[in-house]
Amino acid sequence: MCKERVSLNRRRFLKTAVQTGVCLAIPQVIPGTALGKDGSVAPSERIVLGAIGIGNRGRYDLSCFLREPDLRCVAVCDVRGDNRKRAKDQVDAQNGDKDCATYIDMRELLARDDIDAVLIATGPNWHVTAATMAARAGKDVYCEKPCTKNIAQSLVLADVFHRTGRVFQAGTQRRSLPNFAYAIELARTGKLGKLLTVHAHPGGLGTKMSGWLPAEPEPPREQVDWDMYLGPAAWRPYTRKLMNAFHFEKGGGLVGGGCLEWGSHCVDLCQLANDADDTAPVEYEPVNGQLHARYANGVKLVMRNDGWLPMGSCPVRFEGETGWVETGDNAEFGASSQSLLLRRGTKIPGYPADFHVRNFLDCVKTRALTRANANAACWAHIACHAANIALFLDRKVKYDPKKNEFIGDEQANRLRSEALREPWRI
Amino acid sequence: MIISKRYLTCCVALLMFAASAVTIAQNHPAGGAKELELIAVLKSDAAKGEKAITCKRLAIYGTDKSVPALAPLLGDKELSSWARIALEAIPGPVADTALRNAMGKLQGRLLVGVINSIAVRRDVRAVNSLVQKLHDANPDVASAAAVALGHIGGKQAAKALTKSLASAPTAVRSAVAEGCILCAEGCLANDSTTDAVKLYDKVRQADVPDQRHLEAIRGAILARRSAGVPLLIEQLRSEDKKRLGIGLRTARELGGRDVTGALAVELARLSPDRRPLLLLAIADRNDSAVLPTVRKAAEGGPKDLRITAINILIRLGDVSCIPILLEAATEDDAELQQAATETLVRLPGKDTDTDLLARLPQAKGKLKQVLIELVGQRQISEGLPAVASSLQDADAGIRGAAVRTISIIGQDRQTADLVKLLQKTDSSTERAGINKALLAISGRCGTGCIRHLRPLTQSRDNELHMIGLHALAIVGGPEALAAVKSAIESAEPAVQDEAVRILSTWPNNWPQDSEAGQALLMLATSAEKMPHQVLGLRGYLQYLRGNKKLSNEQKAAKVKDVRSHIKRPEEERQAIAVLAEAPSVGSLELLTTLADDPAVAEEAYLAIVRIAGREIGGVSKDRRREVLQTVAAKSGNNGTKQKARKALSGVR
Repeated sequence: MCKERVSLNRRRFLKTAVQTGVCLAIPQVIPGTALGKDGSVAPSERIVLGAIGIGNRGRYDLSCFLREPDLRCVAVCDVRGDNRKRAKDQVDAQNGDKDCATYIDMRELLARDDIDAVLIATGPNWHVTAATMAARAGKDVYCEKPCTKNIAQSLVLADVFHRTGRVFQAGTQRRSLPNFAYAIELARTGKLGKLLTVHAHPGGLGTKMSGWLPAEPEPPREQVDWDMYLGPAAWRPYTRKLMNAFHFEKGGGLVGGGCLEWGSHCVDLCQLANDADDTAPVEYEPVNGQLHARYANGVKLVMRNDGWLPMGSCPVRFEGETGWVETGDNAEFGASSQSLLLRRGTKIPGYPADFHVRNFLDCVKTRALTRANANAACWAHIACHAANIALFLDRKVKYDPKKNEFIGDEQANRLRSEALREPWRI
Repeated sequence: MIISKRYLTCCVALLMFAASAVTIAQNHPAGGAKELELIAVLKSDAAKGEKAITCKRLAIYGTDKSVPALAPLLGDKELSSWARIALEAIPGPVADTALRNAMGKLQGRLLVGVINSIAVRRDVRAVNSLVQKLHDANPDVASAAAVALGHIGGKQAAKALTKSLASAPTAVRSAVAEGCILCAEGCLANDSTTDAVKLYDKVRQADVPDQRHLEAIRGAILARRSAGVPLLIEQLRSEDKKRLGIGLRTARELGGRDVTGALAVELARLSPDRRPLLLLAIADRNDSAVLPTVRKAAEGGPKDLRITAINILIRLGDVSCIPILLEAATEDDAELQQAATETLVRLPGKDTDTDLLARLPQAKGKLKQVLIELVGQRQISEGLPAVASSLQDADAGIRGAAVRTISIIGQDRQTADLVKLLQKTDSSTERAGINKALLAISGRCGTGCIRHLRPLTQSRDNELHMIGLHALAIVGGPEALAAVKSAIESAEPAVQDEAVRILSTWPNNWPQDSEAGQALLMLATSAEKMPHQVLGLRGYLQYLRGNKKLSNEQKAAKVKDVRSHIKRPEEERQAIAVLAEAPSVGSLELLTTLADDPAVAEEAYLAIVRIAGREIGGVSKDRRREVLQTVAAKSGNNGTKQKARKALSGVR
């Protein structure tokens, strides 16, 4: 990978992002009346949405968008015919008409001037490519995670959204959920004492490689557009087995796995708890089935699969000198003292995305940084990719977050990026 | 590891199913030998799938030596992308040369891919060729060349791109503008600000898509630094929403205290509907000088702006904001009150606690009420004495706030203060608040509260008596139990009923308390009132279920002892639940009798299967078979039938 060019005031901009992230548990910052949320919303004030990659997860996200009164979806795009039809039906039912347009090629949707924002839920292979294309086309972007396939893409993601001034929200919706926000606030405001260790549940630490399976007869384009499905992934023949976009090329061709699927959530939360939205750990080491990392400020990040309290999926734990807190998707808490949980707020289990979607739409209007903005997503993903590279190489690696390179480790450095298939670029 | 022939053959098969983990680093120790093996695969007649994955491995292990084997693959539409994975990663001029050479031979998409790789590698020696490709008839190729030139940067690239801004076909012009913007960023990185500004301004004036204009506007503002303020203000005032948007974004990025000042001035000039938006942008500037602006907005003026400012103070505010926030928290407007209180609760710093406490002694009315609430919400334990003394305040609102705060941070000795207040007041609202606080403190402080609660259990006021009993029930223990048992003997029916209710749930708190069991049994078997019997029985069964000291046989025996009192399906279900968790001879026999009641038969059958499905001491296999056969025959639930049959097959 060639050296990254420093963008305009990147460090300054990143610091802004960190500041914005401090007050997670607060309600809507700007009064609703100023945003046009008081009852009916004039059509001219509505955010017009296009949805790209609308499989199961995409339709869930889309349902969260459709519940918002100041939004209208006008187009859906998917390489699969069945997905297009289901998504169109969903949108038409909401709009009470038959006008939702359908596209196979996202470039046609992105070319529409009337669309303000896009939901991208294609599957990890396409995420960063589609997101950067959308930003260059002048759209704000809500993008499912994992957002990138390697370190270089993570940096480009931040740069492109920085350059274009578009709003980006990574689909790491736990940043907008009260229990996680509260635990993070405890860690960041010194309620646990000096922060020592943050724990993340990556849900499997294996590394995977998407291969080249035996060719099968390719379906008609209306049914599956295989070329568009492959998109930026290196070419391989059509195989039905690879049509699971959720897993295809997740986290990159050589180094996918749980690190990215779950790490993009729970490592991301640890980053925020450690006030590290503008950096990543400097050391990564596989240790007895766990991954131990260390930040420059001394805080340790432990990625482990077991030893968790019964908190549901995606648990995190933050330990300080005087206390600890643990929470997960069932929205319960474990803590060193009940007094820590006094202001825990509303219990919202089941990791809904509604709050995160609302935060995105508000930021589309205010142009503020979202809770999971491109910079925050960039560094959380870098932490996950670097961890993955340590696991893949099965040895300790050291990372310099200022130069964005592994120190004295050419193999690790070569794993920072990967060429995209023509004609795609980010 | 040397790649054997067998490995080469197997590799194809492996790749066919290889979504599996491949730990290259482990399988292939570093070194030139491995590279040679991988090159041999590329040169062999191996399947394309195998060659593809070999390219990926060469991305890690490849050197100049690999390039001649990779370069021919650039023209293969199935393998070109794989080859570029390696060629993009292999450092040095040899790979650069291979890509440049390919640029002269390829067309269409494959050419675009090669140009994109050259862009990633920032190959300065490719500039001449890329400039030529700017004029390629294929707009995709020309666009790729424009963006590549932008990434590489330099004067020659900038000159070619600016020239093309006007002349390029419409389909290419967006990419040319993008190249210019990338070039401008390169200029800024090299401190060539003037060149950067020129490039941005040219794009601003060019006939290119509006998004490129917005990017150029942003760049032009940032590159000019403070001198960019007029252009920034122009965007903030623009009727065009997109320009307003890029202005708000850029207002967050453009550094400098003078810029903060200029934006603060503009805040007062902007139309009211835009002020909250700009204030949010100003607040994100990471400049301590923004605080006065936010503070001023919080102090007075349009409500939307005030609420926005007050919310912003959660993260930017300090002790200097307290007077303004207290003022807002005591206004009549509920939204302002809520926002200000929330901010005061979250305002960081020990000095905030100290400041708030210092205000408490002199405070009166609504302000005092707010301060007391804040002591609780912020958990300022040093404020407890002042809050406790406020329980005597003549103002009911202040007393209420003190009760709420004590419920959060009070200790056992505050129980006495609350009890005294309770004895004085007739207000149902106040009594309810105190009751809640007593429950909270009792749960938190435990037995230390008992002596303070005693006056309530001796009160002739039934309501107070009951409040005392509830608080004691939370504390638990022998003394508390004695008070509840005594209340069961009360002449007052209301107190008696409440005491029975409390006792019936006692085992939840003290499951090992045998005294409670005995008292519940007495109720179940001897209470005069039927409702008391029922509550006693339910409490007793619950007590048995949760008791870990009793053996399974003992539990079954105790259920048997009260069997004659278990008459209604609700209690029968409770008995079944106890027995199902206590596998024993006695339990099995009792369950077979409970199964005679059609109302609970299915629950009993399920419990029987659960018990008889396993070996139990004292129960013969024949008896197990017998009861399981009965269930299989009689149960109306297919799932239970199946479970019974499955269990039967396991009894050998």
